[in-house]
Amino acid sequence: MTGPISIKGGRDGLRLQLDEAAAWGDLLSALQVQLERGSQFFNGARVVVDIGERALDDRALTTVLDLMRSHGLQADALVSSSRDSRSAARSAGLAARPMRAQHTESEDRAEAGFLQRTVRSGQVVRHQGHLTIVGDVNNGAEVIAGGNIVVWGRVRGLVHAGALGDRNALICALDLQPDQIRIADLISRRPDRQTKESDAAKNLPGPAIARIVDEQISIDVWEPARRSGGSAP
Amino acid sequence: MARVITITSGKGGVGKTTSTANLGTALAILGAKVAVIDADIGLRNLDVVMGLENRIVYDLVDVIEGRCRLRQALIKDKKYADLFLLPAAQTRDKDAVNTDDMIALTNQMREDFDYVLVDSPAGIEAGFRNAVAGADEVIIVTTPEVSAVRDADRIVGLVEAFEKRSPRLVVNRIKPRMVNRGEMMSVEDVLQILAIDLIGVVPDDEQIVTATNRGEVAVLDKASRAGRAFQDIARRIAGEEVPFASLDEPHGMLDRFIGIFRTPRSRV
Repeated sequence: MTGPISIKGGRDGLRLQLDEAAAWGDLLSALQVQLERGSQFFNGARVVVDIGERALDDRALTTVLDLMRSHGLQADALVSSSRDSRSAARSAGLAARPMRAQHTESEDRAEAGFLQRTVRSGQVVRHQGHLTIVGDVNNGAEVIAGGNIVVWGRVRGLVHAGALGDRNALICALDLQPDQIRIADLISRRPDRQTKESDAAKNLPGPAIARIVDEQISIDVWEPARRSGGSAP
Repeated sequence: MARVITITSGKGGVGKTTSTANLGTALAILGAKVAVIDADIGLRNLDVVMGLENRIVYDLVDVIEGRCRLRQALIKDKKYADLFLLPAAQTRDKDAVNTDDMIALTNQMREDFDYVLVDSPAGIEAGFRNAVAGADEVIIVTTPEVSAVRDADRIVGLVEAFEKRSPRLVVNRIKPRMVNRGEMMSVEDVLQILAIDLIGVVPDDEQIVTATNRGEVAVLDKASRAGRAFQDIARRIAGEEVPFASLDEPHGMLDRFIGIFRTPRSRV
């Protein structure tokens, strides 16, 4: 992700960085594009907004917050070295922090995420890069990633790869039978007749890989011989 | 010092209250001093299941709001002198209590008891949070149904988020014949999804319904299979290694005959 907008995931959650030097109008339209492209990813998420040295008044800040809110994105805090921006943030009910904490290194490493646990019903895991999970994704759970999703376990809940718009994203799992699978802007759901979990397990056992083929999400049983790079016939 | 154990489930109607009443009684039978708290404020029924509804004078909210002392609100069981019930208020709702109140209340009770069992309301809202707030341990009750297991999974996630010890599981109302025919989720199916420790399996038992309506608990009925299962769970809570009883129910004369020669307890 180049350009005036960048999204990073650190220990404290998602961070939306708005380039401090870019023209304000360009920044807003770039943000609009970014939010629309990743609307599934952002809906329900909470972020820290980092605007660097830029000074924002109440009205400009409100414009940004409204734009974010209309895409389901909630700001938790504003990071800026500008005193004016921080006071605008406080009057908008946000926490305001003077400068970004020193964890750029961990943010870079967070480009790919790793999680070792069961993702349970009602839990949402959101990551801006590739995501590896060692454990199961249960019914009612949601896993959303900007990049690929690899699950060393069973997938029964909702998985969404390429949620920032990447149609080349992949989802692989040892056992891939989610309620719903999404890649970029495409959605595919489990066939209705497989209502019982035990039936589902019988129908498509073993490792599988999901990707977009001909404008549709295609789930194939993993065959070690096939190279994952090429598109299936 | 008491261990505070909350019994919860997410979904309603899976047997939380019945489990609380039976486990409380079973622990008392083992000789422990036990208090059971009905945390389902506004929808109390633990008193009914234990047959104590006609003895209620004060309730949990009275204690928290200082209208009476804890001792005055505790109701002594009909049979066991070391088993007490703290009933829920019926005319109030969940907002009458907050998590700090519940922590203070359970801490106050730690001095006097070996076990404090908290019967949680269904759901994941304030009532559930109150019920879990003061707990050292959580026991999750589920039935072998997809919807109940899904809710139990949600609860496991929430309990883990509260940084409690990993909850333990009771699978209630299992029907071995249906499981054998592949028509019901097995205990293994449930455990595969929830991935937590099993503390007991309770077979479906129609006598529970009639006993509950009479205000008697199943553990007092020597013939009740569910009662025996709850007694086993109580011993496991107390730290005993109790093997899991075979769920296969005898079908006819021959089965019953063979059953005598089989080892009475085998692994599930």
